[in-house]
Amino acid sequence: MNPRNPLWRFTGVRPLAWLFFAFLYVPIVVLVALSFNGGQSATLWESFSLKWYAVVANDPEIVRAAKNSLLVATFATLIATALATLAALGMRGPAHRGRTLMSGVLSLPLLVPEIVTAVATLMFFAFIGLKLSLFTILIAHVVFCIPFAYLPIRARLEGMDPRLAEAAADLYASPWRTFWRVTLPLLAPGMLSGAMLAFIISMDDFVITYFVAGAGATTLPVYIFSSIRMGISPKINAISSIILLISILFVALSYYIGQRKR
Amino acid sequence: MNAAGLRHERRLLLRRLALSAPAMATLAVFLLVPLGIMLLVSFLQPGDYGGVKWGEYSLEAYVNFLYERDLDDSLVFNTDYLQIFQRSFWLSVLTTAGCLLVGFPTALYLALQSERRRNLLLLLVTVPFWTNLLVRVYAWILLLRNGGLVDSGLEALGLVHGGDLNVLYTDVAVVIGLLYTFLPFMVLPIYTSLEKLDWRLVEAAYDLGATRRQALRRIIVPLAMPGIAAGTILVFIPSLGNYIIPELLGGGKALMIGNLIQLQFGTAHNWPLGAALSFALLAFVLLAMLVYSLRFKGAAAGGHP
Amino acid sequence: MSSAIGIERICMEFGEPGQGVRALDDVSLDIRANEFFTLLGPSGCGKTTLLRLIAGFEQPSAGTIRLYGEAMQDLPPFRRPVNTVFQSYALFPHMSVAQNIAFGLEMRGLPRAEIDATVQRMLALVKLPDVGRRRADQLSGGQQQRIALARALANQPKVLLLDESLSALDQKLRKDMQMELKRLQHETGITFIFVTHDQEEALTMSDRIAVMDKGRVLQVGTPSEIYESPVNRTVAAFIGETNFLAADAADAGLRLGDGQVLQAPTPLRGAVTLAIRPERVHLDPAGELEGVVEDVVYVGTDTVYHLNVAGQGGFRVRRQNHDGAVAAHAPGERLRLRVPTAAIRVLAE
Repeated sequence: MNPRNPLWRFTGVRPLAWLFFAFLYVPIVVLVALSFNGGQSATLWESFSLKWYAVVANDPEIVRAAKNSLLVATFATLIATALATLAALGMRGPAHRGRTLMSGVLSLPLLVPEIVTAVATLMFFAFIGLKLSLFTILIAHVVFCIPFAYLPIRARLEGMDPRLAEAAADLYASPWRTFWRVTLPLLAPGMLSGAMLAFIISMDDFVITYFVAGAGATTLPVYIFSSIRMGISPKINAISSIILLISILFVALSYYIGQRKR
Repeated sequence: MNAAGLRHERRLLLRRLALSAPAMATLAVFLLVPLGIMLLVSFLQPGDYGGVKWGEYSLEAYVNFLYERDLDDSLVFNTDYLQIFQRSFWLSVLTTAGCLLVGFPTALYLALQSERRRNLLLLLVTVPFWTNLLVRVYAWILLLRNGGLVDSGLEALGLVHGGDLNVLYTDVAVVIGLLYTFLPFMVLPIYTSLEKLDWRLVEAAYDLGATRRQALRRIIVPLAMPGIAAGTILVFIPSLGNYIIPELLGGGKALMIGNLIQLQFGTAHNWPLGAALSFALLAFVLLAMLVYSLRFKGAAAGGHP
Repeated sequence: MSSAIGIERICMEFGEPGQGVRALDDVSLDIRANEFFTLLGPSGCGKTTLLRLIAGFEQPSAGTIRLYGEAMQDLPPFRRPVNTVFQSYALFPHMSVAQNIAFGLEMRGLPRAEIDATVQRMLALVKLPDVGRRRADQLSGGQQQRIALARALANQPKVLLLDESLSALDQKLRKDMQMELKRLQHETGITFIFVTHDQEEALTMSDRIAVMDKGRVLQVGTPSEIYESPVNRTVAAFIGETNFLAADAADAGLRLGDGQVLQAPTPLRGAVTLAIRPERVHLDPAGELEGVVEDVVYVGTDTVYHLNVAGQGGFRVRRQNHDGAVAAHAPGERLRLRVPTAAIRVLAE
């Protein structure tokens, strides 16, 4: 199919597509632009300035929230990726009834509405009498990070040629050595993208964290939410822009790695 | 297979189950058990200052859903909660329809681009997945508030004169926010369907005298149906239970189910009602997923619906 | 000659015992040392399953597999001194070509210097001395094929198994690789077991061929034995082009449906099938058989006449176009055919 052929030009498709992209990116561009505003207003442009970035960097509350977010995301990613990798390896082989059930359980965190997971987890901690803290946040994050880590790993495993493991066995590698020398290296890209997804999802989560965060255990999204509730401000513009730019950098990096692999 | 072979298979199966066990146990203890406790809580009495009275069972939460207790303890029919459910439902339907309206043409546009361009545009569609939702919703407050960019922009163009825009903290703002958040979820599955589409089928339709519009309606849309269905589910379900968007753009006035649930754990101090509402939402979602998987799972696997 | 692989009464069932699919049904074979042995048959005949049993990727439901006399059906694949060249090559995509070839040697714990030397020797053997550092997926299909061979041969296996190894290559490359494989087998002296569904390939390359169908071995023999003396109709139909004629065998000869009689010695009596190769029949006015031309097809090197013989259509006669002469006969014409006695194979059924 030649995309230039007029046969494939459907009326209205192009303008709607560009409307879509504009709709998607205008708010982001506006937000980032306003973060460089030197005035006291969040929306009225006065002059170019980096002063709000300085304010953000020197706000101990924001710094602590950022540290909490990174801490939780790092550990949640490590644990969830490890669990997901094992689970994906366990889900190989011929289908059986238990496997259908298990893959259902694995995708459950994606199915259950966030708010439901949030309140259920809160009630669970109340029930067992566990005090809310960074630790309870970590537990909740591990749970919803598992499917995000699992899916790319599973996809990678499914796309793997079973002949490769047979070839290793044919070349005198024991099952253990086949795993370390062939299966795991081939699985690594899947584990990396699974871990990246889990990390981002954990860093971004607000709803569940909001419910299971104890006093003083504030993450960055929870901090931002509370600030917005107190009213918009140029300081929120700046911290929001930082978060956006870090995410976009992350995406660009993973895209670049993906392109180079090809 | 002989007996030794069967034993071997069984051993292999056990080893695999052992590998899956840690993840399964984590999800069972920290998700399935909490959901069970939630169901239990919905049958308990609320505590006086939040929490619940463990062990005191009651159907009060489900009664509360439709009735209000008057001062003299008689039950009065009250549709407040029902109305919020209804509103959530219609706002989500509106969002899904809007997403379909913009999402399908966008997906079609993507599918018709050259490969290099397509990859780049696809990246642009997926960026929002990776960026913080809260922050992007916040950007809409900046745009929609009175005196914000949309307001002053319209005024500068002479489209409105004086007065305030008054869009923020209304249903309109909520739907804009939901559309903004979930559009990519509609575009991607439809695009996936269209990418797999054999364009020679459309050429065959042209060859048989179909116009572009007829080819679109009779060939392209039906073949993209699995993607459209998946997109609809991916937009509708999370819209329905969304919390952040009505909270920030609805300003506590345009409530949806999610906010109603949150309220019960906040100022209303009624955990059992919150649990009952959550359970109702969860049941609805699982039902929708069941219907979807019965209708479309075969199609997703490559067969016909 | 000693026996390299002995296959004794192997059965292979997939699924539940007794009710599963029989992939192999009581197969016995004896493959000699240093021979190029081919398992030939249509897809689903069990030839690949048999190869996977020898490699150790599957366990037989019953029977014994011997390597130089020693039973090895219970050994896992990584303890068997046989190596496989996979249909899809199965080169490790995350390793360089050299690392691929070195893999088996490393697993056996050979010293580094010896491994490096062997890798170089193997690259030279398959005539790709300079690709060692490249990644496997940067090579062309033909080159990957050679590397897969080098990786297997590096271990000096007692037996090399090749699973439809040439089927992914295009026609030209395929012919080259056929010669290459023969050369490698000659130079290394390793027993090759080759699986293919391509009868021409089997005839060209093999010392001996086992023709398989529906999980059974129908016939084992040299290419000329298989071609000239197929044991039954299935083998005759699968190997090369064959005309079949129904006949009645009696002391007076082989009587066809319309009363014509052909002569060929056979102990069989009653209803038989005659198998006659198209290139062994000659157009000859003095011939003993008569037919009516249905169609004349020019195929470059040959002209093929389709005739109706004794009421049966589609009897083909192949005539070489050595003098550039084209179709001298037209449909509807009556022709006489000479069928040498040695060209007639009388089959029961």
